Amino acid sequence: MAMPQISNADQAKLQLMQEMEIEMMSDLYNRMTNACHKKCIPPRYFEAELGKGEMVCIDRCVAKYLDIHEKIGKKLTAMSMQDEELMKKMSS
Amino acid sequence: MAKSPESIALEQLDKDQMKTFSDFLMSYNKLSEMCFTDCVRDFSSRVVKESEDKCSLNCMEKYLKMNQRVSQRFQEFQVIANENALAMAQKTGKL
Repeated sequence: MAMPQISNADQAKLQLMQEMEIEMMSDLYNRMTNACHKKCIPPRYFEAELGKGEMVCIDRCVAKYLDIHEKIGKKLTAMSMQDEELMKKMSS
Repeated sequence: MAKSPESIALEQLDKDQMKTFSDFLMSYNKLSEMCFTDCVRDFSSRVVKESEDKCSLNCMEKYLKMNQRVSQRFQEFQVIANENALAMAQKTGKL
């Protein structure tokens, strides 16, 4: 509707990409939850409520995890682009 | 016979529901394992002690509360990231 010039094959590809992204996001979320649980909640369960320190820890843990995730992603793309350029130079 | 749009929609719904259900089962198993390892250490008796029972229930409740908080913060970050991406797209579109 919005973009009639996109072919069916491209549309299927796009959908697959979207599904992969969603999968990746939920994997990221699960890993982050595990990591922050390990780091912020000590395994002594005297009560069911989150402590104040635990809450602050979780907030910071999520923020930091996503920051690191972004930074690593940037570095990774930069490195792979560099590699690609090097390969191009080598082959030419 | 050609599939009606309703049946396709139903199929999609089924797929999503199955995914949600399987996610639920997975987290259930994970939670049991985690709280069992953290709360039950003494095997001198077969019965679950009251302290172990309380500990595992607390463990579960706390984990769910933590998950809620993590998801709140995660959503906040995603909203900001979306806004940034949109602003970026508009900027490059104008240039």
